Formats: sequence, structure tokens, C-alpha cells
Amino acid sequence: MQPSASPDTERSAAFIARAIGPILAVCGGVGLLAAFTLAIEKFKIVEDPTYIPTCSINPILSCGSVMTTEQAEAFGFPNPLLGIAGFAALGALGVALASGARLARWLWLAIQAGLTFAVVFVHWLFFQSLYEIEALCPYCMVVWVVTIVAFVYGTLHNLAQRNLPVPSGARGAADLPVRYHGVILTLWFAALVLLIGEAFWDYWRTLP
Amino acid sequence: MTRNSKISIIVVAVLVLGAAVAIGLGSSSDDGGSEGSEATAASSDGAAQTLRPDSHLLSKGPEGAPELVEFLDFECEGCGALYPIMEELRERYDGEITVAIRYFPNESHFNAMNAALAVEAAARQGELEAMYEKMFETQEEWGEAGESKAALFESFAKELGLDMAQYRRDVADPSTEARVKKDFEEALELGVEGTPALFLDGEPLQPESLEQLSAEVDAALG
Repeated sequence: MQPSASPDTERSAAFIARAIGPILAVCGGVGLLAAFTLAIEKFKIVEDPTYIPTCSINPILSCGSVMTTEQAEAFGFPNPLLGIAGFAALGALGVALASGARLARWLWLAIQAGLTFAVVFVHWLFFQSLYEIEALCPYCMVVWVVTIVAFVYGTLHNLAQRNLPVPSGARGAADLPVRYHGVILTLWFAALVLLIGEAFWDYWRTLP
Repeated sequence: MTRNSKISIIVVAVLVLGAAVAIGLGSSSDDGGSEGSEATAASSDGAAQTLRPDSHLLSKGPEGAPELVEFLDFECEGCGALYPIMEELRERYDGEITVAIRYFPNESHFNAMNAALAVEAAARQGELEAMYEKMFETQEEWGEAGESKAALFESFAKELGLDMAQYRRDVADPSTEARVKKDFEEALELGVEGTPALFLDGEPLQPESLEQLSAEVDAALG
């Protein structure tokens, strides 16, 4: 029996297949810029401990206080170095895809592994930032956003194209998120925005 | 429109609506709060005083000891110049006089308020004196700057070993700024126009040297 996906699913899968190149290119590019800027700011802080990063706007929106924490060197070296390498690779793959390149399945799975690691790491940083450091770093938040977008669309593309193994019994379950890709992304960001709003509620209230 | 887009838009709309309602509720209760505090400020026992029970003491003398109060701005150079004199005086009259500082951040100094907030936040953790000293000892590094030095002050707080989460909350807390402004308002009522402004037992003083100041204190000690 031919497994026939609903027209909605096919349309979404086709949209994601068309968009995945530009999405990864933009996310990679923006992420690279943010990571690069953070790395430069980090060097400046190391050179001059009284240096105030350009993104330290006030006590809550502050790179300085976030960048000097232990969490900013989760693996023993500054996190932005990971970002520079990862986002550069992601952006390059995105540009290749946008230009019409086709990637082998193993490369898609490698991208999936990278994006999965990145999204888990970024959420760990998110919760550290909210509940341990209690400050938000604007450039870091840019990294959160592009990582989540890249992860969501990369994963959905891999599901829709069956680069990820989908057992025949789970096809319906795999197609549902593909169909509702926008909803997933929106709910995801809504949850993060709510958590940020709640964590810094006292602060937002003090703004004029 | 696909259901994907419809549901996404509905989620965003609900979120925006929820935020608007929350902010609306928050700001209306804020209004109530600030009106309340203005009312209490206005009704607080009429005449302005140089020393209040909540004024920060650098040195404490016995009951009835002369009370020297300095209204200061951490970014004002004159205050920075007076600082070593005050330190010397406090040492000389240790245990004999009460010395207090009160906030008078000048609006023309970019970081005067930031510094006052940092000192007040430190005071809430019992480190008023250390932060006060730090501010004047480093004044040359950050005074006259055209941008916020809040992050530098935060690094001072870290050096002092303050609870940083608490410090940041206190700096951002509107009650901290209200506390600073309360001193400022009362100083205006007392006729203070600039800093440093010294009062000894409620009377304004304009000493030109440590020796003059010391002579005044000696006279007050009787």
C-alpha cells in the first residue's frame, strides 16, 4: 500500500525543503556574527578587566556579567569559539543547499547531531542565564534564537525527507510536526519569552 | 491560510494580549504604589533634618555626640577631595562623633546615580563603608565618563564578595532609587545646592581644611 501523506503535509515538506538552505544560511551567518562579536568582547575583557562590553546596557541586559561566569567557559574554553566553528560550518552548508546542492544522508545526520548538541547546550545556557547568573546577554540571546530555528527546521526536514529513520507505524506522528512547523517554533519561543518575563518580572516593571 | 499559520498567529496574539494585560495590571498597581510613597514622603514629620534614622552612618559616636553629615555625589571631584579629609577626621575622632553620608547625586554627572545605587545596594548587604571607599578611591578611573559605569560598579561589588544576584536585584529595584532620591529631596529642602555639603549638628559648615573642620568638631565636642 502506498503511504499517502496528506496534501498539507506534502506542502509543508516541500516548503521546508525549499527553505532549509536559506534558513540554515541565515541562522549560520547571524550566529557566526554573534559568536564572533562575543569572542572579540571576551578578548577585550581579558585584556582589560574594567572594559565594559558594548552589550552591557544595564544590570539585567548585560554581557559583561554573563561573559565572566564559569558557564561562559562550559568546556574549559570560551563558548563563542564553539559558536564560530559551528555557525560557520552551518552557514556554509546552508549556502550550498540554497544554491541547489544535494547532501548525502550521512551529512544530514551529522548536521542533525550538531544541531541537537547545539540546541541542548543553548537551553542549558538559557536556564543558567535566567536562574543562576540572573542576567541576559543580548548577543547570547541572538545565538539562542538562531540555534532553535536551525534545529527545528533541520530536524523537521530530516523527518520529512526520512533522513531520520521513521518506522512505518510512526509516520503519522512524524508528519504532524512537519505540518505544524510554524506552531512548533511559535510555541517554543512563546515558552522562552514567558520564562524570561517571569524570571525578570520585577525588573521589567521598573522600566518607564 | 494554512492551519499552521493560523494557529501560530493565534498563539502570538494570545501571548501579546496576555503581556499587555499583565503590563497594564502591573503599571496600574505601580501608579498606586508611587502615589502612596509620595504621600508618605510628604507627610513625614514636616521639617527637613540633616540626619534621619535611616541615614547611613560611617562612624557612630555615643548618645548626644556631635553629628557630622555629608551630602555627597560619588562623581563630584570636590567630594573626592574631601574624602581623605573625612577619612582622617573619622580616624581622629573615632568613637567620639557620629559621621553619616547622604546621597545627593548631581544630574549633570552621568554616573552619579549609578554610583549611588551601587552604594545603596552594597549597604543593603552591610558593605556601605567598603563601597563608599571604593567609589572615591577609583573616582579618577570612572568620573566624567559619558557612558554607564554600572558594570564597573558591579565588578566592585564582586570584589567585595557581595551576593551578586541580590546586588543586581537591589540595583534594579525601584525602592533603591527611591531611597537615594529621598535623601536628595530632603537636601534640597535643607538648601543644599551642590556637593559636598557638610552639616554639623544640623548647621551648615564650609571648612577649608582638615584643621578648620577639626576645630569645628572640637568646639562641638565642647
